[in-house]
Amino acid sequence: MKALWTNIDYVASVVLLLIGLYAIMAKGNLVKKLMGLNIIETAVFAFVMAAGIVDGGDAPIMGPGANPPFANPLPQGLILTGIVVAFSTSALALSLIIRIYARFGTIESEELWGVE
Amino acid sequence: MRRVLTLALLILASVPLLYGVAKLPPIGSVDNPAYTHVVPHYLEKGPEETGCENIVTAIILNYRGFDTNGEVTVIFTSLMAVFGVLLAAKKAKEQPGAIETPVSPVTHFIVRTLAPFIVVFSAYMIIYGHSTPGGGFQGGTIIGALLIATSLVVGSKHAQTFLPEPIRLWLQPAAVLTFTVVGLVGMLLLGKYLSYPVDGAYLFLRVPFLTAIEFGIGIGGAAIVASVFWAMEGSIE
Repeated sequence: MKALWTNIDYVASVVLLLIGLYAIMAKGNLVKKLMGLNIIETAVFAFVMAAGIVDGGDAPIMGPGANPPFANPLPQGLILTGIVVAFSTSALALSLIIRIYARFGTIESEELWGVE
Repeated sequence: MRRVLTLALLILASVPLLYGVAKLPPIGSVDNPAYTHVVPHYLEKGPEETGCENIVTAIILNYRGFDTNGEVTVIFTSLMAVFGVLLAAKKAKEQPGAIETPVSPVTHFIVRTLAPFIVVFSAYMIIYGHSTPGGGFQGGTIIGALLIATSLVVGSKHAQTFLPEPIRLWLQPAAVLTFTVVGLVGMLLLGKYLSYPVDGAYLFLRVPFLTAIEFGIGIGGAAIVASVFWAMEGSIE
């Protein structure tokens, strides 16, 4: 229990991940499912960022006045990449949803079961 | 019923996740495994090896430049995919342009007043991305968000005149093109794709290389974000 408390940031991203998973599994609306996917992506970003936290760490920007310790710059760089990829997948998924709506007039997955 | 089953499954899934999280090394310690391999080298040698005082920029543009090169290709490819999906829909059903929605004069005034400051802010982020917080992606998305806000206020048709179609077509792949050009110039001068001068005669080219890539990423990102919005808006009646 104490280990969970010291790693409360990781626990928060686990909770976010489960919320997103719930949205994907329980919601019928395709846009809401996509929001769930976005929440899961946020959970992963928060998890990796939390691994880069350093107690009392400054932003990893050198130059005059910079003094160690610095926050870990590697997760920040990786997550910057990840956010852009998340944007790309969301844009593609949203445009597919627009197409589905234009074709079938609905984005509820239960109603989409019956259509050809 | 389905909701209860889903919740039960999620609670079941949370057990191994929480167990694993509890076993991870504590957050915030300098002895964290994530902090002990390459990071000390980046922090110590980063400014002199790359010319970036901002180590995050040093990592994404220099140490892991190939990664970023692939990533700008990903975002450009996704734009092409969005066009492919949405233009097919347009052909099937000829639609008139987006309807102009009147907005409140307050919103209109605020967006128009803030626009120049937002542009200056994002230009600063792009230009000084290698030595202060910020960078190409951040500045680019700010400009993209400004274009989207302008489209919502004055209508897409009017907002698109800031980025006319023929210019937009060249700005969308700007990030990929600058990366390729800078990478090839680096290859001609130093022998390896996307290599930056560390010392020697070409050292003065290092900051222009970085600024060029930042600008390419910023402008390309802004054009892509705005184009995705316009493509989606144009295909909704």
